[in-house]
Amino acid sequence: MRPYLLQGHERPITTIKFNYDGDLLFSASKDLVPSVWRADNGERLGTFNGHKGTVWDLDCDRFTTRLLTASADATCRLWKCETGECLFVFNHRGPVRGVAWAEGSRKFATISDPFVEHNSKIRVFDCPENGDLTDDDVMEIDLPKIGGKRVNPTNIQWTGNNEDLLVAFDNGEIRLYDPETGDLKEEIQAHDKKINRLRFNRDKTLFITSSADFTSKLFDPVDLKHLKTYRTDRPVNDAVISNKKDHILVGGGQDAMSVTTTSGKVGKFETRFFNMVYEDEFGSVKGHFGPINACRSYASGAEDGYVRLHLFDKDYLDMKDPVPEEDEAEEVPPTSQ
Amino acid sequence: MATEQSREDELAAEAEELDGYFSDTPLDPQPDYPQLRESFESAVIITNLPKVGESKMDKLTKVVMKLVSRIGTLVENPETGFTGVLMPHDKDNDTTMGFCFAEYTTKEEAKNAVEVLQGYKFDKNHSLSVTLYARAEQLKDLDVKEFQEPQPTPFQEKPNAMSWLEDPNQRDSFVIRHGKETVVNWFDGRNDPILDYDGAREKEAGVQWCEFYCHWSPCGSYLATLVPDRGVILWSGENYEKSGRFVAPGVKHIVFSPEENYILTNNDDPTDPGAIKVYHIPTGKLLRTFPLFPDGVATDIPPPPFLWSHDDQYLARMGDGLISIFETPGMRLLDKRSLAAEGICEFQWSPKANVLVYWAPEAENSPAHVDVIEIPSRKKLRQKNLFNVSRCNMVWQEQGDYLAVKVTRHTKSKKTLYNNIELFRLNEPGVPVEMLDTKDAVMALSFEPRGSRFAMIHAENPSASKVNVSFYDMMKRESQFTYVPELNKIETLEGKQCNVIFWSPAGSNIILASLGDTASGTLEFYDVDSKSLVVKEHYRSNQVIWDPDGRSVATVVSQPIEGGHFKFAMDNGYIIWSFQGKQLYQQSFETFYQFLWRPRERLLSKPEIRKVKKNLKKYEEQFDKADRERQRALYLEETKGKRSERAKIRELLARNRAIRRKQRAEYIALLGGYDSEDDSHYVIRDLTIETVLSTKEEVVT
Repeated sequence: MRPYLLQGHERPITTIKFNYDGDLLFSASKDLVPSVWRADNGERLGTFNGHKGTVWDLDCDRFTTRLLTASADATCRLWKCETGECLFVFNHRGPVRGVAWAEGSRKFATISDPFVEHNSKIRVFDCPENGDLTDDDVMEIDLPKIGGKRVNPTNIQWTGNNEDLLVAFDNGEIRLYDPETGDLKEEIQAHDKKINRLRFNRDKTLFITSSADFTSKLFDPVDLKHLKTYRTDRPVNDAVISNKKDHILVGGGQDAMSVTTTSGKVGKFETRFFNMVYEDEFGSVKGHFGPINACRSYASGAEDGYVRLHLFDKDYLDMKDPVPEEDEAEEVPPTSQ
Repeated sequence: MATEQSREDELAAEAEELDGYFSDTPLDPQPDYPQLRESFESAVIITNLPKVGESKMDKLTKVVMKLVSRIGTLVENPETGFTGVLMPHDKDNDTTMGFCFAEYTTKEEAKNAVEVLQGYKFDKNHSLSVTLYARAEQLKDLDVKEFQEPQPTPFQEKPNAMSWLEDPNQRDSFVIRHGKETVVNWFDGRNDPILDYDGAREKEAGVQWCEFYCHWSPCGSYLATLVPDRGVILWSGENYEKSGRFVAPGVKHIVFSPEENYILTNNDDPTDPGAIKVYHIPTGKLLRTFPLFPDGVATDIPPPPFLWSHDDQYLARMGDGLISIFETPGMRLLDKRSLAAEGICEFQWSPKANVLVYWAPEAENSPAHVDVIEIPSRKKLRQKNLFNVSRCNMVWQEQGDYLAVKVTRHTKSKKTLYNNIELFRLNEPGVPVEMLDTKDAVMALSFEPRGSRFAMIHAENPSASKVNVSFYDMMKRESQFTYVPELNKIETLEGKQCNVIFWSPAGSNIILASLGDTASGTLEFYDVDSKSLVVKEHYRSNQVIWDPDGRSVATVVSQPIEGGHFKFAMDNGYIIWSFQGKQLYQQSFETFYQFLWRPRERLLSKPEIRKVKKNLKKYEEQFDKADRERQRALYLEETKGKRSERAKIRELLARNRAIRRKQRAEYIALLGGYDSEDDSHYVIRDLTIETVLSTKEEVVT
């Protein structure tokens, strides 16, 4: 089945996200203009104009009313989804790397990169729906250099009921912070290299990390315990847990540096499908020319500036688990005739 | 006065009388005697000579003298009558004592004599034993006067190196080297490989069982692993037990003899006089060492390699205008002299006979020539003269029936090169040679391993991107069952993209591959008999390796273990295909060094194979049944593990969901009282969508 090719961005896609209802797709790119598309036919509804730097991350609230974008121009902007009007600018001291609404969409958290004398920071802002907005944060975690080395956050998420802030770092660590006090509650070394993305499944009962160490790992958010590992042979930029099936979709590709020396055919620029439980790869979707930076449900965005929107065909939707359920008839090969 | 005068006369008369008795020169107080040689370093003792009577003593001395003087110049002293050889004589029995002394002018000659004459067959019953005099002196002082029989070393049972051949599933085996791991796997040509041994015992002991490359022995009995610090270790038997250790510091390469009796190690060190070592595998005894380069050979090019003859009998190496052939197990020069081969550039053994082939380029007055020589008789079976030759490449058919020599010729101006192929039929009397003239440049040529066909890649221009692949048969079919030895062309495939060809060991299937870093990695599986073609690709693959029976084939992307260019470091791994080009298995590694199928000898004789072919139906049934059973067992095993894994994850998810459930009230509060599960928030509407698929107008009659 041919995918919808969403042409609109001129530079690499940094992230894509569906809204909660799944009818809209938001995309962020290095070309300063986040866009919103119809998820069923790939039509572009509009853009959010105003950023002066790469947009690294975005997050839309539960009811698709307000959108937050994080940009390298050291601002985080709040937009009205419907009109594309910029409601507020939250100024930061360094490029904003990630942003995440808290459940209930009355506050949100950002992470920012170090800039000149400023350290990386994790900040939490209040953002009531009706009321005055201010760019004073309600909580701030400063991340100073440790032993001369910087550790930068790459992704931030709220755990269920806003109990903790789950932050991924470029040294492969995952940390849990208290969103009220900023205390470090727990930390684990999840990967050997940079974690590119950390995403929850829809009901926040599992989360998955994608790392430059060629693997993607599934975790249990309750005990912060590692469950499964999905191995590829390229750095992984993004991975998602499928809503429909026990599948993991993994996107990646080799470094942008060596992209030009490999042909698209072999650059491993496919979205790979893994069985969540058995960790084996059973399929892939090709098409992008460049590493896939983002994939969500059935869309992927890549270094080539395109977002591909795939609709799953019947064969995929009818696919059964390779291991039959107990009540299913077993297709055991016969012993002999 | 008068008396004085008479006295003078008297003296004068006396002097006259004594004239001639007195020397005019003064007496020398230190006369110049010939220098006494006190050391015996240039002397040797030759023992085990025949004992002969006085009458034959002179004759024996003469024969011995003739023999020993072939090695070097003997010391002679005409004054004392010493001839350089001293044959002691037992006066009581009137015979010689069975030994003699010989003295050379230099000690190098003496050493050489010990080396060369050792074990020389003097006559039917006497092989000589030669010892340096100094060594004999040392031996004389030995305390132990009585011979003590050495104790036989207690018998140690070696692991059964054949056990793997008894695999009930008739599987093939292969070894891979990646990262720090060396893993032997079983492969049944269908299911995923199964681990056989990965050095677990050694890992437990804290050692790595292979630090460098590993190699199978030619019949697959041993796996040799190289440990550069120490040497080579052989592993065999069901559990890969250590069954041989050969000391070879710095070892880089090894060469097994074809029948696994000997192993040759090489450390590539031009300064080491023992760079190359030859060991006897069953006893572990070092037989001989060689320097990396033979005498008189330029050391700025790769050293000439040692090549084993097919039956382990000879080991040969090219020297300057000669081939040195060493005979096992003594490792001495065959007939004590090298085989003269003026101008030799390259030589090869026949894979199935003690026949050598070498070629030499044009010299002043003689044309370039390819010589076929029988060993040990050194009989020239065939010589083929060639003109305007720049290079020759020799390719054998695996059974040694045919030899193709690709001759690269140049025009008079030496500007353009072209090829033709000289085809030798080794099994026919007189070794007839046919010439196949191609206008094109020939890039590769390969014989069907057990057949009479060969394939070659050719193109007008050697750098062309599209090439042709031609198939020829050395035998022409006259009627249904008769063949005549006549070269005939089968077909040409045009416009192919390949640079190497690989015949299946079973014949009739061939892979046309384009390997190397500039190539695309295209693999074309071609069946020469049924003419079916399957095209696949393994990007960056640099090796194609058939398993020993032609059932499956591996394509490999590997990098040198010593490290190398970064371009080798990507996409490492291997793919196993069926002989028809169906992908069976694939594995990727960060660093992949080696893939080797375990070689297996063909154990069935020709009539037995014919019998199998006749009863193929019966065997097919048997194997199919076994395959099915194995698959079933595998499936059950796998699903069992997967089921429990799935149950674990489901349990965890259920627990997490329950936790979320408990939080639900709080969550709804966060959303301002909106409950997505409350139906009142939804408006349910029925919608009918009609789509006209097609319309058609028909005239109703």
